[in-house]
Amino acid sequence: MIESLVKANIHLYAVMRNLPDLVANDPVAARTVARWRIGIQFVVWRGPAATLAFDDGTCVFERGRHGRPELVLGFISPGHFNRMMDGKGIPLPLRGFKHLGFMRHEFPRIADRLAFFLKPTEAKLADSRYQAVNTRLALATAVFAARELALFDPVCRQIAGRIRDGAVLLNILPDGPAAHLIFSAGDITAGLGDIQRPMARIDFRDLSVANDFLNARLDLFSAIAGGDVAIRGLTPMITNLTLIFDRIPGYLGR
Amino acid sequence: MSTYRYPKRQELFRRAAGVIPGGIYGHFSPATLVPPSAYPFFTARAEGARFWDVDGNTFIDYMCAYGPMVMGYGAPHVEEAAEAQRRLADCTTGAAPVMVDLAELLVDMMPAADWAFFAKNGADVVNFAIMIARDATGRDKIVMIEGAYHGTTGWMQGPGHHGVIEADQHQVIRIPWNDVPAFEAVLDRHHGDVAAFISTPYHIPAFADSQMPAEGYWEKIQALCRRHNVVLIVDDIRHGFRLDMAGSSAYFGFSPDLTCLGNAMANGYPISALVGCEALKSTAARVFHTGSYWFQAVPMAAAKANLVKMGEINAPQVMLTRGALLFDAMVNIATTYGYDLKVSGVPSMPYLRIADDESLMLHQDWCAEGTRRGAYFTPHHNWFISAAHTDADIQQTLEIVDEAFKAIKGKNLPIEC
Repeated sequence: MIESLVKANIHLYAVMRNLPDLVANDPVAARTVARWRIGIQFVVWRGPAATLAFDDGTCVFERGRHGRPELVLGFISPGHFNRMMDGKGIPLPLRGFKHLGFMRHEFPRIADRLAFFLKPTEAKLADSRYQAVNTRLALATAVFAARELALFDPVCRQIAGRIRDGAVLLNILPDGPAAHLIFSAGDITAGLGDIQRPMARIDFRDLSVANDFLNARLDLFSAIAGGDVAIRGLTPMITNLTLIFDRIPGYLGR
Repeated sequence: MSTYRYPKRQELFRRAAGVIPGGIYGHFSPATLVPPSAYPFFTARAEGARFWDVDGNTFIDYMCAYGPMVMGYGAPHVEEAAEAQRRLADCTTGAAPVMVDLAELLVDMMPAADWAFFAKNGADVVNFAIMIARDATGRDKIVMIEGAYHGTTGWMQGPGHHGVIEADQHQVIRIPWNDVPAFEAVLDRHHGDVAAFISTPYHIPAFADSQMPAEGYWEKIQALCRRHNVVLIVDDIRHGFRLDMAGSSAYFGFSPDLTCLGNAMANGYPISALVGCEALKSTAARVFHTGSYWFQAVPMAAAKANLVKMGEINAPQVMLTRGALLFDAMVNIATTYGYDLKVSGVPSMPYLRIADDESLMLHQDWCAEGTRRGAYFTPHHNWFISAAHTDADIQQTLEIVDEAFKAIKGKNLPIEC
């Protein structure tokens, strides 16, 4: 039960929330949504909720239920939502029946584009533009998924209990992207971008090294010793955070 | 003062990473050093309180092999005893007579020792102690201190570490250091289920100040253990013989049932020991625990010679005194640069950090600058001093300390990648 909830949270709050970044960084995705004007709300009974708003080429993601979107999709359980994310379930339209056609025919185009970038292969990664988008989205997925795991997964909660209060920054040199997690009295905030005065930081030499790390293809110990990755500050925060990162594939089935 | 470079180290590490997981694993992993670029990874040779890396750089060693070196690398009294034993026998069929000599020596030295058992590493004897406690009490649960280190076996590591399964943690209860009421609460909640309380003599968490026992702490813990028939185990592997030749429990005035020893016993030769009270001797005899190399005679001969010599010169007192001189002087130097250098724990194995530097980044920079100039400082772990650190070593260290503070003063050091 709890695993299903954690998985639903990750699907919505870590995977789906990449859509604005995807639209901003991938021309194909941008073209796909260029004329969309629609709000879609995902509401999972006893689970996560979020609102997506597409407006003439922009995309905004918000946790929770916001405004009066044209389309509200309900799910009777986290498992129901997870089945939809795995392509095996159909949502219950709670509002906006006339937009079901959009959901059936249009939305999958952007969802498929997201999946394309979140499921890398050697061949795809050989393309530097693909690698850049994959890295950006994988970094965001990692920090937002880590938040959900640290708050709700039973083992990760114990790991997070060992993490001191403060911010952990993950930064890709020379010019980003960056992401961070802030631990504060049992609460955890994930975010994109730099942050001032982190308690611990991990800097990747370049996009390629970060990509290897995020796709679990890097021996982190050797990379740190060899100089491809630099860690500073309260490094146990990083050690424990990577233990949480390492559990993400268990939920996303990679 | 020039700073070190490590071209050969880097090349050797590249080779290592090709054939060894992580390049160098465990507590020697360079990944624990911040930044690794400031540190040597490979030791070419060592003598006294110094070692030389593969690039020919010399370091005054304040990690002492993470504890085992206590009387100086290559100390003649140890090497001569080891060599004499090596000429006779080392790893053979049958135990060597020196094993009996060494056991008798420990029993004579330590009030908490009525018998002794030998193995190789700390974890060997910690695990044996737990097995004895469970067999003696017929109970399962172990109480340990949050953040304490007792080796890398599944139950000793925290939940979620790689290779650790949930079941490894089922019988382990963690409580805060110096929290007697927490122990009482555990004994109430798990009445009749607690086999052992295990702790280091004082708390030495990584990345945090060492914490001494509060007034009456050990007396109360010991009384609770006796009242509830819980086996009291002291993990004296890191502290042992750096506070008192009679064991750290003698230093703090209490009587454990079992004491785990290791690091400083044989000045680098591989041996650990579990010593215990008479009441647990027959249990220790029937709990089967052994290893192929646990009867090696050379480390036993080295340990015997080393412990005798340490006793003759009262090595713990030498280290405590010398350490106090060194670290007091370091604090004074720090003050002249406007830094508050905090020293916790005892001076023979202190933990240092620069105050008002919550992330420890400034402290890491300072340790790195010291190491680049020839004094091996680590930022995350307690340091060690040996009886072989000479006045000249200390004087040179203080000059390096001064230079290191000068190097970090007012600098916003870049991320090295």
